Amino acid sequence: MSGTGLDMGPVLSVRGVSVRARKVERPLLDQISIDFAPRSLTALVGPSGCGKSTFVRTLNRMVELTPGLRVGGQVLYLGQDIYARNVNPVLVRRRIGMVFQRPTVFPISIFENAAFGLRLVHESNEEIDRAVAQALQRSGLWEEVKDRLDEPALSLSGGQQQRLCIARALAVRPKVILLDEPTSALDPAATQRVESTMETLKEDFVLILVTHNVGQAARVADRVAFLHSGRLIEVGPTADILERPKEALTEQFITGRFT
Amino acid sequence: MAADLSSTANSILFDRSARTVWRIGFDRWIGRLLPLLFLVAIFPILSLVYYISEKAVPTLTWNVITSTSPYGDHLGVAIVGTFELYLFATSLAVLFGLFGGVAVAEFLPESAANWVRTSANLLVGTPSVILGYMGYITFCLYFGWGLTFEAGAVTMAFFMTPYIFRTADLAFTSVPAPIREAALGSGARPSQYILKVGAPIAFPQILTGIFLALAIGVGETAPIVLTTTASVLVPQNLHSPVTVLTALIWENYAQAPSTGLQTIAFQAAFLILVIVLVLNVVVRVISTIYRKRLEGLYQ
Ligand SMILES: Nc1ncnc2c1ncn2[C@@H]1O[C@H](COP(=O)(O)OP(=O)(O)OP(=O)(O)O)[C@@H](O)[C@H]1O
Ligand SMILES: [Mg+2]
Repeated sequence: MSGTGLDMGPVLSVRGVSVRARKVERPLLDQISIDFAPRSLTALVGPSGCGKSTFVRTLNRMVELTPGLRVGGQVLYLGQDIYARNVNPVLVRRRIGMVFQRPTVFPISIFENAAFGLRLVHESNEEIDRAVAQALQRSGLWEEVKDRLDEPALSLSGGQQQRLCIARALAVRPKVILLDEPTSALDPAATQRVESTMETLKEDFVLILVTHNVGQAARVADRVAFLHSGRLIEVGPTADILERPKEALTEQFITGRFT
Repeated sequence: MAADLSSTANSILFDRSARTVWRIGFDRWIGRLLPLLFLVAIFPILSLVYYISEKAVPTLTWNVITSTSPYGDHLGVAIVGTFELYLFATSLAVLFGLFGGVAVAEFLPESAANWVRTSANLLVGTPSVILGYMGYITFCLYFGWGLTFEAGAVTMAFFMTPYIFRTADLAFTSVPAPIREAALGSGARPSQYILKVGAPIAFPQILTGIFLALAIGVGETAPIVLTTTASVLVPQNLHSPVTVLTALIWENYAQAPSTGLQTIAFQAAFLILVIVLVLNVVVRVISTIYRKRLEGLYQ
């Protein structure tokens, strides 16, 4: 990849993206523009219902799985619009992975969960073994599961399941990983482990983290974007946004005047 | 002031208004009545089982059950016929039901899917004698198959399909949405999602549906007796006549009442009871095993 010049530019570039629901006057997302540089962790914060989940779901066309939503604008992945007519959403989702609010392991073995994405593209068995081990190491789960890879994934604890989901997303070597409140169903200890996983991952991936928790954004994010009523109010380095927000709405949110 | 407060507390904690007293009493009576209602429900079933067993069991020997001789009681012939016909019918019904259920749950737009669902519900509500008659007109007459194994099996397949279709549809639509999205979000094509994630989750429910459809189908008489003709031989090929257990009851009891033939009818009824019981137990066992395996799936 180095030397192509793309390394320098943003991996994802969102240009004037709006999302509308049928029969709803107000857009769920209103003309959002933001760039995501390589090796960065951007936290999306904002009050409940402001459109954070909808926004990350537009970034890999997951939004299209909800009937009745219309997306406008462009999302450029390495310069290519993922909503262009000849683009296959399945391929988009293999490059831009996603981890959800609650662990979504499949009722198959730990190994097969991590290998799920690789099996879809018919990798060789050696390649799968290698990629799965690597992904589990990166997600910080390897030591805990290496002797029980064939056990059902549902036997893991919630925190372990969530790290398995991160491993599943990592295994296909995407460039971007979307995390929609990945720790909101976890206890503090599990949350801490997932946070440290995210910190090591941002060395190699573009991470986009939706969080309710301003403290979490402060701990792990390089950059914070504040969303309100479907609009991107402001975005900047974590310290700037959390300590010196320019907008009154942002300050109100940061200081906890609404949630 | 203190007195006021305590009297308020009293009225909250010890509500003795007429309505509450009545409700508590009503509750207590319903509680006593329920076991009685259970008896009302179970009594006819038990007496039926007793009545049939009493007439069937004394003369029901292993030899009677296994003999496929054309000169015997034909119970063995009917058992083989039942097994073969329902194997054929179930395979077809599983094929139709599964494809239909998956299509409706995963591929068809909501409005079209609801039309199909409504049709399936109507089909379940259609009296089986009408379905049997439709089968007779379509397969025996219009297709010119005559009263044969194939006409009976295909008609029975149509009878069983909506049951399997409904459970397949339900099983796939009740896969937790986040699990489905996670699979599609990992870059699975819809077909890959269905095979690798949806199917393992839906499997126990679908299997239950298949066995229940079979249990209902085995006890249905009309679709078979209207589309096949009985034979003293086990089916030779698809165009053969075929005797199934329900037909044995129909022919021997309703058509030609003599004590000896009636006993055969009771024996056939007894065997159907046993088959349905076994099928229900199998369903129970399977669904318990698989429910355990899926425990903890995104609750
Ligand atoms: N399919 C839909 N049709 C209409 N409105 C929708 C639809 N999906 C979401 N919305 C609305 O869009 C808004 C944004 O929803 P979204 O889930 O993106 O918010 P969020 O910021 O992720 O909230 P939370 O913090 O609670 O997860 C909400 O007001 C919601 O009611
Ligand atoms: Mg959300």
